[in-house]
Amino acid sequence: MKRFAMLSLALALTSSTVALAQKPVEIEFWTFYLSPKFDDYINGVIKAFEAQNPGIKVKYVDKQATLEQELISSINLGNAPDVVNLWSDSTWAGADNNLLLPMTDLVGRSELTRLYHANPLSNFEANGKVYGLPWYGSLDAGVMSYNTDLFKKAGITKLPTTTTELVAAAKAVKDKTGAYGWAPAIKDPNGASFLGTFVFEGLPIVQGGKAVFNSPAHAKLLQTYVDLYKQDYIPQELLRKEAFQLSTELYAQGKLATIIGGPQALTRIRDNNKEIYGKTAVVNAPLGAGKVQPGSGMDLVIPRASKHPKEALAFAKFMTNRANQVAFAKVVPVIPTAKGAETDPFFAKAKGSKDPIERATGLVGASGASIKYAIPNVGKTDDLFKNFNDNIEAAFLGRKTAQQALNDSVEFWNKNMKK
Amino acid sequence: MSRSARTTVLAFLFLLPALLLLAVFTFYPVLYGSYLGFTRYNALSFGNHEPPRWVGLENFRTLAGDELFRTGVVNSLKYLLVVPALQLVSLAVASLVNRRLPFVTFFRAAYYVPVVTSVSLAAVMWDWVFNKDGPLNWALKTVHLMAQGTNQSWLLDPDTAFWSIMLVTFWRGFGYYMVLYLAGLQAIPAELEEAARLDGANAWQTFWRVTVPLMRPTILLCSLLSTLSALRVLEEVIVFTNGTGGPLNSTFTALLYVYRKSFGGLDFDYGLASAAGLVVAALALVLSIANFRLMREGSVRA
Repeated sequence: MKRFAMLSLALALTSSTVALAQKPVEIEFWTFYLSPKFDDYINGVIKAFEAQNPGIKVKYVDKQATLEQELISSINLGNAPDVVNLWSDSTWAGADNNLLLPMTDLVGRSELTRLYHANPLSNFEANGKVYGLPWYGSLDAGVMSYNTDLFKKAGITKLPTTTTELVAAAKAVKDKTGAYGWAPAIKDPNGASFLGTFVFEGLPIVQGGKAVFNSPAHAKLLQTYVDLYKQDYIPQELLRKEAFQLSTELYAQGKLATIIGGPQALTRIRDNNKEIYGKTAVVNAPLGAGKVQPGSGMDLVIPRASKHPKEALAFAKFMTNRANQVAFAKVVPVIPTAKGAETDPFFAKAKGSKDPIERATGLVGASGASIKYAIPNVGKTDDLFKNFNDNIEAAFLGRKTAQQALNDSVEFWNKNMKK
Repeated sequence: MSRSARTTVLAFLFLLPALLLLAVFTFYPVLYGSYLGFTRYNALSFGNHEPPRWVGLENFRTLAGDELFRTGVVNSLKYLLVVPALQLVSLAVASLVNRRLPFVTFFRAAYYVPVVTSVSLAAVMWDWVFNKDGPLNWALKTVHLMAQGTNQSWLLDPDTAFWSIMLVTFWRGFGYYMVLYLAGLQAIPAELEEAARLDGANAWQTFWRVTVPLMRPTILLCSLLSTLSALRVLEEVIVFTNGTGGPLNSTFTALLYVYRKSFGGLDFDYGLASAAGLVVAALALVLSIANFRLMREGSVRA
């Protein structure tokens, strides 16, 4: 009897260890607006990961506009995803509200800086810790795609390389062709795009924990744009719509001569108007006085509520490793932010391509190291951005002077910013 | 058990499933939401696993000091102007399609189409209508209500954005009220109108002296419903302004404030959002009572 008991105990033990080894851990992975377009790529990476890590299964879910709300409710219900695709503002909010695991605690700072460029890492840093592994990024003004026909009609022979030249070109296009020359982001609904313009032109936003974007230089810059708006040199719809969306719409209709931004807009032009796509040429975007290229990026975070943080980390590192980021950039014109990705021969080769999308990818693809989000982590972005945009709008609509609008916003920011 | 007691029990048994659903999906959320309005409960307390903490009227004081919320309340109240317009037009259209005319079923159905059209689809269409080069400007110029060469961006101008969005609410709503009115109209016995005509009343007098008084219950029901939905307008504002509240916040409504505070991302503030929701609910309650008062007076007089 005793022997039997021993035997059964031993059996029970072995069978349970076997079960442990065999039952894979399932982690859930959320992306933001990537399915179904990039299913093949994402599923391919997942398959490769699972082959290397037989103990881990990855469940892939794509979320759209309601990603953040769904993340909150899934945490609340106790079935939080393990790896989630966020961006700077949401990562900072998540970090400040104690919803995410700090990567610096899981991986260590030196390992992070070995794997990723410093600027992209800083985009996901809050309170001295990094909260997301940098994934793909984009530059606010990476390349300028332009309609060669409209430029020819406007008599532009020298391509603009600075903002001042770009403004002159935009006026020439509008005066001679009736189409707009430029659709800069002045008030995107989900952000504070004009702050990016300040940085682009070398003007500071926050210094020593205080908002400082109301110097006469700031006001003068804002006034330049207000004048362009009033003289109808930039589309007035920019106050209502995202510049990226409006640009792609107008450009595809031949009503806009340039798109400044990432090459991703070109995919839509190719899909919507082959003829205009054929007339499109791509060059480096004109630079502002700041000689910097602000940008933004996506990252992968691990919610504090994840039940399998170890496996989640392994997967997040795999998804964002150099090889996989470069492979993604070959599928869609995004900018990899893993160190070493810029040396991939693909980008140098694509630069020489005749195809606009390929050339654009070649021009910006290797600039991962410089992707730095223009706006620092100031907390409460919903309120701060809204107040900034409201004031900017009042200036554009002539209800406030540029200086007054910026003064009012700086006052609000300094009252409500995270100290 | 007496017969009547048994009937009562039976009635409650039949009501039970619906009551349970209401309890889970309406009563509980309403009560809990009201409670949250008096607590501090935001993303940080959620992240730190802290329960809602009672703070009394603090949220309401914050609201009173928030200019954006005040703007929202004012705009929501201003939005009530859509109610009389909606009621008059849908009653008029209902009496027009309450006749035996060829194709009248087609018209009835056509007027109802906006009600079942999804708001995002409607937004695409109206966005185009209100555009600078859109059909509205074209139409106004054609009938010389607008000078040639001028252009109006209806949704960009802080003086017109509010009315433009209200027009969409009107367009989306009037078919619904028309159907309610139509049902009311068809319940009026034809003899009454005939009698009035025999007494020498013209069509207008018949409508005004016979039909409208008999329709009073329906009119008041419809006013109540449209008052509540006007006060809670949100969808249109979100789709037309990308959730920003429009030029100079001219279309920022009270419920948009609630929405932004509760669904604004990983920085939500349920306490403040619930308090703002309670203020809207209180306004709705006051307006509903006013509506009921009117209804009672109406029935006494009728």
